[in-house]
Amino acid sequence: MKFVVNALRRVEGDGYVTLNARIYSFLLWGLTNPRVLSPSLTLRQMIRIGVEALPMASLVALSVGFILAMQSSTELGKLGANAFIPDLVSLSLLRELGPLLIAIIVVGRSGSAVAAELGTMKVNEEIEALKVMAISPTRILVVPRYLALMIMLPILTVFGNCVGLAGGWAVCIGTLDMTSSFYITHAVQRPELWDLYSGLIKSVVFAHLIITIACYQGLGVTGGAEGVGRATTASVVYSILWIIIADAALTGLFFFVL
Amino acid sequence: MREAPRKIGSGPKKIFKAGEIILEVRDLVQAFGDRRVLDNISFQVRAGETFVIMGGSGCGKTTLLRCLIGAQKPTSGSIHLFGEDITRMDPFELDRIRLRFGMNFQFGALFQSLTVGENIALPLRHHSDVDSSIIEMIVKMKLELVGLTGFENFMPSELSGGMRKRVGLARALALDPEILFSDEPTSGLDPVMTAVVDQLTLDSTRKIGATAVVVSHDMTSVFRIATRILMLGNGPRQGQIVAEGTPEEIRKNPDPFLQQFVRGEADGPIPLRMAQDEYLKHLLGDG
Repeated sequence: MKFVVNALRRVEGDGYVTLNARIYSFLLWGLTNPRVLSPSLTLRQMIRIGVEALPMASLVALSVGFILAMQSSTELGKLGANAFIPDLVSLSLLRELGPLLIAIIVVGRSGSAVAAELGTMKVNEEIEALKVMAISPTRILVVPRYLALMIMLPILTVFGNCVGLAGGWAVCIGTLDMTSSFYITHAVQRPELWDLYSGLIKSVVFAHLIITIACYQGLGVTGGAEGVGRATTASVVYSILWIIIADAALTGLFFFVL
Repeated sequence: MREAPRKIGSGPKKIFKAGEIILEVRDLVQAFGDRRVLDNISFQVRAGETFVIMGGSGCGKTTLLRCLIGAQKPTSGSIHLFGEDITRMDPFELDRIRLRFGMNFQFGALFQSLTVGENIALPLRHHSDVDSSIIEMIVKMKLELVGLTGFENFMPSELSGGMRKRVGLARALALDPEILFSDEPTSGLDPVMTAVVDQLTLDSTRKIGATAVVVSHDMTSVFRIATRILMLGNGPRQGQIVAEGTPEEIRKNPDPFLQQFVRGEADGPIPLRMAQDEYLKHLLGDG
């Protein structure tokens, strides 16, 4: 184990793969020495990246729940199939829209902030100062943010799913004369446990993409304030692009293989 | 001989006695494309010296310093720091060497999200297992050293440029380094504060036996602190060593390039403006 960790820490260069290798070297090291993972910094980042994103994520999830229920009632109502609206809202949120939309909110809110923060630190020579003090920027800046998002995005996703279901419930109760017990029974019983798991697997992959892309772009800033702006934009654009590609790939994997 | 600070992971190491070669640069070349910023630089620094690298803007002083601290890999040549060639080291090995020196950045490079006290405590917290109360005491001592007693809880954004520089110096001295590297430590400071920072540099070398490598173009400061001076050239002598010696030898050196710089004269061999023929050619083109 120690050999692998030290070999990974010796990797030179500033590429995306190198950054990932460094992150994993510290995570592996952290298995035997948890102090390496800077628990206090990780907790601080969990609050900044996760807890402070709750209001925005809730609002988006609630709106998506409203939209799903209203849009589906238009067509399903014609077929007399309004009873399937809770199933549709629930499955759509758990499998697809919950993880995807919460991830996109986090990209815009936290991914861009991480890229801008690290980029500004690079411009102000703070990153170089850390290196010269023999303190790995990956260890104290990237790893806490990585762990924070890997923990908080799935939690935000589950929370968003619940709020989204509440949005669908409000529409069904308020406009479709559905009873609460009917909605809850269908929304909870129809999906299988795998539907929840598949969404959570997606959110973990999205978290990895968001934070590694944001840190890579932030640490790679050159050229002052303009460079910080470029890195922030690139972080958002590439994160959304790769999230959607990963989503398609994972959905294909779950649909055809599993 | 001073006692080395207790550090995690630093392992056994040789402590350099005054006069021993602690830093040796051989045939160093740093090129960016076709442009050679440093051209075959070779020099030695002995333990206990205050070695000043001076030269005009753009002569490669900061690039040389970045190479010396391992922040930049040179195009060719070698840098032996504490007897080991740092140009061949990977980041992991380099960290072992970096524990033994401190770097004072030109603009402080303080962490904006941390207080002054936390900035100074950062290397101590990471590289020693010293108790928090002792770290707090060391922070207060270092702040007293740079004349900033009571500023522990200030944020860097609340300090002036000169104060930030002094906090940067306090942080660089936090682990009692064997070598202190300083990039323009007195630029932008008032004369009193310049004298204070110069005195600090001298104290860190003379009192605790550290070596100082300072990049500066402040001639008053250079002649006040230097035991040896290296002058880098620019223009046709870009990145080459123009002169090297004690302050007295530098003062007596007849090189017109060097004398223009030392006296701060506008006219001389240092090319600031184009010659008339060259300027006409530049304006009208070769034809």
